[in-house]
Amino acid sequence: MVALATGGVVIGGELFLTGCRTKESKAAGMAFSNNDIAFLDEVAETIIPRTTTAGAKEAEVGKFMTVMVNDCYEEPDQKIFHEGMDQLDEACNKMHGHSFMKAEPAHRTELLKALDKEAKEYTKNKKKDDPAHYFTMMKQLTLLGYFSSKPGLEQNFNYQQVPGKYDGAVPYKKGDKLFI
Amino acid sequence: YVQKKPYDWIRGYHVGGRSLMWGRQCYRWSDLDFEANAKDGHGVDWPIRYKDIAPWYSYVEQFAGISGSKEGLPQLPDGEFLPPMEMNALETHVSESIKQKFTDGRRMIIGRVANLTRGWNGRGPCQYRNLCDRGCPFGGYFSSNSATLPVAANTGNLTLRPHSIVMEVMYDKEKKRATGVRIIDENTHESIEYFAKVIFLNASAIASTAILLNSVSDAFPNGMGNSSDQLGRNLMDHHYHVGAGGRYDGLKDKVIQGRRPNGIYVARFRNLDEKTKRSDYLRGFGYQGGASRGMNWNIDGIGSELKEQMTEPADWSFWLGSWGEQLPHPANRITLSKTEKDKWGLPQLEFDCEWRENEIAMRKDMMDSAAEMLESAGIKDIYTFNDEKAYPGLCIHEMGTARMGNDPQTSVLNKWNQLHEVKNVFNTDGACMTSSACQNPSITYMALTARAADHAVSELKKANL
Repeated sequence: MVALATGGVVIGGELFLTGCRTKESKAAGMAFSNNDIAFLDEVAETIIPRTTTAGAKEAEVGKFMTVMVNDCYEEPDQKIFHEGMDQLDEACNKMHGHSFMKAEPAHRTELLKALDKEAKEYTKNKKKDDPAHYFTMMKQLTLLGYFSSKPGLEQNFNYQQVPGKYDGAVPYKKGDKLFI
Repeated sequence: YVQKKPYDWIRGYHVGGRSLMWGRQCYRWSDLDFEANAKDGHGVDWPIRYKDIAPWYSYVEQFAGISGSKEGLPQLPDGEFLPPMEMNALETHVSESIKQKFTDGRRMIIGRVANLTRGWNGRGPCQYRNLCDRGCPFGGYFSSNSATLPVAANTGNLTLRPHSIVMEVMYDKEKKRATGVRIIDENTHESIEYFAKVIFLNASAIASTAILLNSVSDAFPNGMGNSSDQLGRNLMDHHYHVGAGGRYDGLKDKVIQGRRPNGIYVARFRNLDEKTKRSDYLRGFGYQGGASRGMNWNIDGIGSELKEQMTEPADWSFWLGSWGEQLPHPANRITLSKTEKDKWGLPQLEFDCEWRENEIAMRKDMMDSAAEMLESAGIKDIYTFNDEKAYPGLCIHEMGTARMGNDPQTSVLNKWNQLHEVKNVFNTDGACMTSSACQNPSITYMALTARAADHAVSELKKANL
């Protein structure tokens, strides 16, 4: 599902399915700081902002991303993700003259729209075994994290933990909340 | 285990075993299946026919609780069903379309499933969470843990001993009887013997046969009950990961509520009679699958627009996968390794099994017919799949290796599931199966088990065992 939205396979997907493994040893520079989590929260919030419903920050997607990268990404992908955070910041500097954390929401959106296009183009042209684009990783994890979170499910959908029944032909009109 | 050829051996070694994680689809076999070997000459004839097992299907269906619809299909006999689950809007459309457009009598029906559509024997009903494989706190589907073990415990005669690995069945040469089993404790590696009048060896197909192969004595140098040399042979599974799918443009004003742990089923429609006979392969296949409509993942961009679009329903989609019969073949087999041992000192198993000509030929039709049915119902953007890496074992329907038969020279078990050569040892799991049919096999194991247990009790009473 997430693969469809972002192109190609779900990075770390093999480990999602088998239950993630925690890697004991971390290569240098591969640990996430609280600042990193705050940064990733803002990236995620730009992808899925607060509207009438919670945004990605409220769903703690930044923290979710770090867990997934630590536990489910292979080391080369972890490296791309970490370097990607710096690359994203550099791209922001280049486009707006200051860091991502200092950028106003409209500038953040403008930047990530450009990165989304860049990542899509990269994915389209890359060879099968080439690594994924760092922004593809961030977007995949944001969507996966947000749409499996409590606020993500409860506020956007008619989420029923215990449906108790099945109806395969419920009337629907635009604007209705989807059962999930 | 040793893979001479690729084999996926998927086990569930915990209390309740794979009854906790099974797919729960329950379909009776018919004489089309029980007569198949006799008719086309592959394998040996089944020693039973549908009439022998029919009352026992009823018995276990009434105990387990199987929901389904009565359809009057001779190749897929009706049973004692709880109310059927509902098809959703697109499934209803596709089902009706198939009925109208195909003149060979093929039918798409709601799946027959061991999920309870109403409270049953103190369990359930199903809450439509579709979290069955976590084990259901509502007892909403049949598992050993929810259904049979509590009943057994209530008799006061049950002793459950987890962490026990059966090494061998012990044999008394003078009395020509099995005396019990020798186990090794998984954790302490202590060896313990247990004795019994009757032994039901139901460790699942592969493991039951491995135990018999490892039960070596003067009387049985090649494994208990193996004078026929059939023990370990004719390993079967269902071949799958083949079919088609697509999306549907209509029914935009309908969505789904609830997460139904079940789908649709298309009963076998090939090689039923002269009219449906194929020249390119023997036997047949069924389909499982279904329609769904969920949130919209296939979206570009970022921001509030992306968020809004993702929370709207996607198009309806339909997925149809096929499950096909595997012919029994004596060279598809398991043997004990002479050199490799596991951590408990038991010989590792060697798997030498592959899909052969008949299965490979069948798969083309399985894929093409799926696409054809979907296309005829107006499904768009149809994709097909035929996964060559879906090796034997992956379907977790492993069968054969200690087949039933009338002739002790060519089979391991008799018509009551007793070893021909050791009458107080029974096997009623997948190992006993003489052919594989294309239906999910569990309900047939359950019916054979009830039938064999009834026979064992009656023989015990007559002092014949």
